[in-house]
Amino acid sequence: MTRSQDLMTDEQLMEAVKHGDLQKASVLYDRYQKRIFNFLARLTMDREQGQDLTQNVFLRLLKYRQSYKDGMRFQSWIYQMARNAFADHYQAHKNKFNQFVEVEKIGNKATTAQEDMEQEEKEELLHRSMARLSDEQRELLVLTRYQHMKYEEVAVIMDTTVANIKVKVHRAIAKLREHYFELENV
Amino acid sequence: MEKEKLESLLIDYIDNNLDEGQRLEVEKILEAAENARELYRQLKQVLNVMESVSDLEPRQDHRGEFERTLETESTTSAQGRTVFFQPVFYRAAAGIALLIAGVAVGYWLNANNQRENELASLKQEMAETKSMMMAMLQNDLSASKRMQGVNVAFEMKEADDDILKALAHTMENDPNTNVRLAALEALSKFIGEARVKKILVSSLTVQKDPVVQIALIQLLVKIKEKGVVQDLEKIIEDEKNIQAVKDEAYTGILTLS
Repeated sequence: MTRSQDLMTDEQLMEAVKHGDLQKASVLYDRYQKRIFNFLARLTMDREQGQDLTQNVFLRLLKYRQSYKDGMRFQSWIYQMARNAFADHYQAHKNKFNQFVEVEKIGNKATTAQEDMEQEEKEELLHRSMARLSDEQRELLVLTRYQHMKYEEVAVIMDTTVANIKVKVHRAIAKLREHYFELENV
Repeated sequence: MEKEKLESLLIDYIDNNLDEGQRLEVEKILEAAENARELYRQLKQVLNVMESVSDLEPRQDHRGEFERTLETESTTSAQGRTVFFQPVFYRAAAGIALLIAGVAVGYWLNANNQRENELASLKQEMAETKSMMMAMLQNDLSASKRMQGVNVAFEMKEADDDILKALAHTMENDPNTNVRLAALEALSKFIGEARVKKILVSSLTVQKDPVVQIALIQLLVKIKEKGVVQDLEKIIEDEKNIQAVKDEAYTGILTLS
């Protein structure tokens, strides 16, 4: 990566891609691949599908580059595409997949191996509780809690108001708490 | 205070999103009410666990694929650059001429080749669907591609030996439970055929995934396949099988005998 690319904002890079300098897309790939993967893997609760959908998002970025509006926040745009990729994929498979959610696939084996059992158990419990939430609630918690996005940013991505997002996030946390302690007592 | 409001306030308190006045109000509630303290403790614990979960590391093998697409796109868009006729009149004239030529060529092609093409393309389409499905099933890197392959098989009205073999192999060996189950589901569509029944019965003894084992037992019991009773007994005796599988096998024996 050259120094000038390092200094460019996401928006400048995407505008360059839109206007024909496609190689700049690989800088955006480096900047966003991990975040989009984490978003989709947590949302689908499946690493493999997270990988495939992430790839799909970056292919969409190239395919629909002309639809990027100059000046638009790039992060909001790419997350909207990630949400669409998720929605398209699950529209077709939802009924088939729902009953087979394999929460254990999400575990980060490399790190959990070093952690103590108690923490591992808590995370497992958390993943199982997350799996019980609706797609929308899980998505809101992934964005705000795992990815530390501000309510304002999430509101843009989901095309709604900040107040609405806040209420929904709080409800999702409340629901998660319920599931977590229900499962803990099983 | 109703529970939802209290919970929301406690979340803001934990997130440090309250002003001084609200903060003191929450602390007063926490001091006075045991149930509020319990709620606070639980919320704090859940939020702490979320905070401590580390990021997942994506595999890097997809990068090459993206780079290749980037290369292809770059070449295509460079080649696709249009040569513009400057005066609008020439541009319009060129457009019209192209349109007329296009229509003429299209008409000619259509008249001559339509029937032949339709027949050939139908055959080709069937062969392509089959080879696409096989390729998808053999994709080692992507579970969702293999799942798509199974779904293609599921949509088929008939299945030849190659397809059945591929599905049986997927059901017995795929590393992903969802894919294995979907393969079983696809196979069960052709259960009326004796060769499919044979595949399923022989799979019962080799299948090691409890989820698939249970689904398989349920299916064979449903079609009243009495020949599997001995296999079910073996499953009950096998120490390696989990209790839920043994229970299902036991229920199966009771239903079949």
